[in-house]
Amino acid sequence: MSRNNIKQVWALLMVLVCVELRGSGRASAAPICVHGQAGCHFLSLADLFDRVLQHSARMHSISSDLHSEFEQYVLPSRNHIGRINRHCHTATILTPNGKENAQRLAREELTEVILKLLVAWKDPLWQFHQNMVHQDDFNNFSSNKALEMSYMVHELRKGVEKVADKMQHLGMISNSLSGLSSPEALDPSSDTSGEAQAMSDHDLLYCFRRDSNKVQNYLKILKCRIVPENGC
Amino acid sequence: MWGEVGGALVVLLLSEVLDCIGISPPGKPVLINCRSPEKETFTCRWDPGFDGGLPTTHHLYYQKEDSYGMYECPDYQAAGSNSCFFNKSHTSIWVNYNITVVAINSLGSTVSDPLEVDVMYIVQPNAPENVTVSVVKTEESPHLLVKWEPPHEADTRSGWITLTYQLRVKRQNKKESEWEEYASRKQTQLIIYSLHPGEVYMVQLRCKLDHSLWSEWSTTTHTEVPDYFLKERSIWIVVTVFSAFIILLVTFTLAMKRKYVKHCLLPPVPGPKISGLDTQLLKSGRSEDILSSLMNQGFPPTIATKDQQVDYLLVFDSEQVTPDLQNGQTRTNNSIDHGCYDHSLLMEANNKEVKVGGRETVEQGYSEGLESTFRKTKSLSTDVTSHPYPQKKPFNNVTETPKQAPVSSEYRSLSHHKDLWDSLARHLDCRETVVKSQSNCNDKHLSSQNIVTPSKAIGCAEVQRWTKSIGLQVLVPKMDKRQEDYSKVSVVENDNVVLLKRETVPLNCTSCKVGGNRSEKCFQQKPCKPNMTVPAKEGVHIGSNGYVEPVTMSHTL
Repeated sequence: MSRNNIKQVWALLMVLVCVELRGSGRASAAPICVHGQAGCHFLSLADLFDRVLQHSARMHSISSDLHSEFEQYVLPSRNHIGRINRHCHTATILTPNGKENAQRLAREELTEVILKLLVAWKDPLWQFHQNMVHQDDFNNFSSNKALEMSYMVHELRKGVEKVADKMQHLGMISNSLSGLSSPEALDPSSDTSGEAQAMSDHDLLYCFRRDSNKVQNYLKILKCRIVPENGC
Repeated sequence: MWGEVGGALVVLLLSEVLDCIGISPPGKPVLINCRSPEKETFTCRWDPGFDGGLPTTHHLYYQKEDSYGMYECPDYQAAGSNSCFFNKSHTSIWVNYNITVVAINSLGSTVSDPLEVDVMYIVQPNAPENVTVSVVKTEESPHLLVKWEPPHEADTRSGWITLTYQLRVKRQNKKESEWEEYASRKQTQLIIYSLHPGEVYMVQLRCKLDHSLWSEWSTTTHTEVPDYFLKERSIWIVVTVFSAFIILLVTFTLAMKRKYVKHCLLPPVPGPKISGLDTQLLKSGRSEDILSSLMNQGFPPTIATKDQQVDYLLVFDSEQVTPDLQNGQTRTNNSIDHGCYDHSLLMEANNKEVKVGGRETVEQGYSEGLESTFRKTKSLSTDVTSHPYPQKKPFNNVTETPKQAPVSSEYRSLSHHKDLWDSLARHLDCRETVVKSQSNCNDKHLSSQNIVTPSKAIGCAEVQRWTKSIGLQVLVPKMDKRQEDYSKVSVVENDNVVLLKRETVPLNCTSCKVGGNRSEKCFQQKPCKPNMTVPAKEGVHIGSNGYVEPVTMSHTL
């Protein structure tokens, strides 16, 4: 079974590499253009939002599955310390805790929160996957899920960035988001990288499940606020 | 120290006394669950437990993850007794709540086990509202249109809540019927088809958030489907068209393959195959020929053999000896016995010409006796004379006999069949084989005597010679050296006697008839006339030319 596992991992890695290469070379192919120029595939903002929402929904479902699997199979074998002391490394990011709070936020701020969250989780998830491969706690299926999770965070972040670009282009939001693309501007990620490593696996999964849910809800609110045509 | 001990003893005594009375501190309350219907507020409920016989109050305390301090429930009444309602301002999503309930009475307090709650995961919406079920009548068949609305407190417009619905339908009257479930993602209406007329249907709905718990089923809505006539026209139309098409196809195929169908259904009945009967002759319509052909078949009864392949026996004069005859010469030692067979072909009379026909195949049963062969040959002769077979095998030097009996000088040269000769020879040799012969041939009498007596037919002597040569040798009177290969029958008697006569005869022609009791009887014949006619025997008619013809229809039929 380990050979199959390694093969699957290699296959998935190859797929990821290819996708990455293709993603980087996307500018050469027919890009999803924002302005509707000739020679590129035009996507409306509503379509972009739909795609992003689908992505985030899938990401959240995977995280839920992983968390429940962890609690079901791994936790009983470990000594379980009190969960009240859990501390997510993304706690420093101020996130609205309710509907009114989220609606009170401006569009730019909401988008910024989403991006901050996504950026904060890229490295810890990769680390988590690396740790999981070497451990015996998780089965192969779970390690594939972890890999997919980290990949999806990356993709979702790029998607949200595209949505933000489009919104900026359409004049729906101001241009204050332009500085977010670089990881250095996002302090929490650099500060909390050490904290992220100190987290236990269970806490990490718990925190990520919550944060993916936050992202999904924020994106929904954003979408229904900006493009309320269908599905709101 | 003594005071403390005394105090403890007092307390113990007091509790014992109180137990006897029946009061005690409250039992431990149990938090049942906390539920949020719309992800904005939530309610927690607990089970108070044993109150200890004293009025007990319960208090709920909670602690939030991101803040310190213990807070008490903001609202104990909104959700009923033993509940705590957290309104919007007190609800934080994605924040862990640590909730405990404390029961307090005058004797003490008891704390429940803590319950950790994240509002995100305790959402359970209310059932859908305003469920309306209507029967929509259309051309083919009616269907149910079910409409509903999300629970009023759920905020779906802002995208905060995305509901998915589930519907189930059941027939009320039918026992043991199962619920049929249908899913609906975001739509608030559904159409149900294939209804049973006259039935009452029950409809229920429920909903849930993406990853939440299912709501309770809504109240049952009853709808009656009115009785309607199931026209199902479309089905009948399809069936009719299809069957018509099939019928057309089959008819067309049958029409194309008429012959095969006819052959299959009505197999050709094999026509009656009467040996010797010629359908062509029948078709020609000449009654004479038809009659003659029919009569030929009946007389004499011959064993049916293969198709009318007639082999004829070669009949030669005494001078003419075929090689085959030579071979058989050894067999005939006893020529004396031939007298028994005289009633067969042995006609003496010098001026007799025998025209014999023979069959190709000879009966296997030689034991049947000469008579059979006689009969055979006799019939053959009749066959030959009277009735040509158009399909006969051509023989050597065969000239076709004309259809009419009166034949000119045509005849056939006949090849003889060795078996027939053998049979004849055997018959000649064996006296006992004369079984069926009607002629009471006295063998001894025959053997002892020289059959041939001068007074007797010259033919006997000739016969003797003839037998030696194993042939139906034509007994040609010496006076007449003409080589005649055939003879004509002058008379047929008793089924086993044939009188032969020559076609062209001199003045004196005698016929010697040997047969039956009159084995050595010869009698003078009247001056032969070529065209002598003899009173016809039954079944045989001697034609004007001396050929045996089958009797006319009037005689036999």
